[in-house]
Amino acid sequence: MRLKVFTGNGFLVEKMNYKAVIIGGSAGSFQVVTRILNSLPKSFPLPVLLCLHRLKHVRSGFVEALSLKSNIPVEEPYDKVMVWPGKAYLAPANYHMYIELANRIALSTEDTINHSRPSIDLSFVTAANAYREKLIGIILSGANKDGALGLKRVHDNGGVAIVQDPADCEVKTMTQAALQLTQVDFVYTTDQIINFLIKLK
Amino acid sequence: MPELGIVDIREIIGAVKSDFDYDFGNYALTSFKQRLERIMVLYNICTAEGLIMKLRSDNDFFDTFLYEITVPSSEMFRDPSLWRWLIEACFTGMVDKSTGKSRIWLPACVSGAELYSLAILISEAGLLDKVHIIASCLSNKSIELMKSGFYDLKKMEVSVENFKRVNSAKDLSIYYKSGHNFALRDTRLIQNVEFLRLNINFDNAPQNIRLILFRNSMIYYNPTQQEKILHVIYNSLSPSGYLVVGIKEKISGINTGRDFEIVNETESVYRKRLFS
Repeated sequence: MRLKVFTGNGFLVEKMNYKAVIIGGSAGSFQVVTRILNSLPKSFPLPVLLCLHRLKHVRSGFVEALSLKSNIPVEEPYDKVMVWPGKAYLAPANYHMYIELANRIALSTEDTINHSRPSIDLSFVTAANAYREKLIGIILSGANKDGALGLKRVHDNGGVAIVQDPADCEVKTMTQAALQLTQVDFVYTTDQIINFLIKLK
Repeated sequence: MPELGIVDIREIIGAVKSDFDYDFGNYALTSFKQRLERIMVLYNICTAEGLIMKLRSDNDFFDTFLYEITVPSSEMFRDPSLWRWLIEACFTGMVDKSTGKSRIWLPACVSGAELYSLAILISEAGLLDKVHIIASCLSNKSIELMKSGFYDLKKMEVSVENFKRVNSAKDLSIYYKSGHNFALRDTRLIQNVEFLRLNINFDNAPQNIRLILFRNSMIYYNPTQQEKILHVIYNSLSPSGYLVVGIKEKISGINTGRDFEIVNETESVYRKRLFS
């Protein structure tokens, strides 16, 4: 729900009652995600769900690398953990990461989709079902089409759909596929994505 | 692709419960919904009513339903470091000193990926005649599939890579033959395996088990079912028997956690406490 609220000094601000941010990325997205996590305030008011393509058999290293410069804690969630604001949840290697209606993470070892596990589409679709219009979905640089269907679902359910500007991407395929399928709300550079996120209250 | 709402899912769960006495009400909702939708695509069913009608009109379909609703392990030798740990730390002290025997239970088999992986390593450890392996599953279809040795050829490539990381002196190719679009695994490995059909609550579970391999199965349950099943698992283990769950499953948050001690945190290996 988006409420227009007058602050004490009479300025009109848009108060958005979001519940989560979900970010999907593949080749070329690591630097972008690192910059985003490095720019968020420690008190960022929403959970950040990260579904990034990664090597299936390499279990460790990724979350540690993302944590180095992040202002909020980053974890690879265990199955059925609660989702908390101000934390980032990275889909673990070789698992799909779903969001359950009860605001918990659910993991799955079901078949790969478009050769991917984690599948960005599955994370986005389940998050869109759980958070409806209170979700912000962001698709970043990547070399395949995963995420396009998921972002469409975020948009169809009333959430905000953001795509990294293909001109700003190391690899354009994923963002172009998302733009082809959905009339997104914003096409942003990395800096603009960060500006958008840090203004969220 | 059909999309089921919560009401549809409740109707299907209700029908399965009343007609077959299987209660899927405590399965994790999102993955259960995905599995149902997948079955509907596979069998050309468009609505929840259509699925219920098919279950009621086709006597053989419920077994297929049970087979398709469960998620098979993604590949053979998933998480090679766990299998290395089993060889190095678990199999060596596996056999009971007085009886010379031991029992291993795989409670939630579907395609036999875990079963054949285990049997290969037990065979390489020279323990095939000392270790009794029990493979239980929901459907007859799973049992037939495992006994036949057939496996999805697409999953073989990653399995071969995993097996190299297990550090076996052998190549996985000696244990299977490639067909046109399938792999045929060496069924001699499983000729002494006991196959069991159990219901979703594991009623009449086997007892006196030294090692239970139960990886990435409880992720398809909600916390209520997890607790219930862990209780069964606990009772099936022999004193200080091992329980292995998936690396992203944590049983300490579940009510029965105090009955287990962690043996290997990275690989999610637990042991039944002797005194609790």
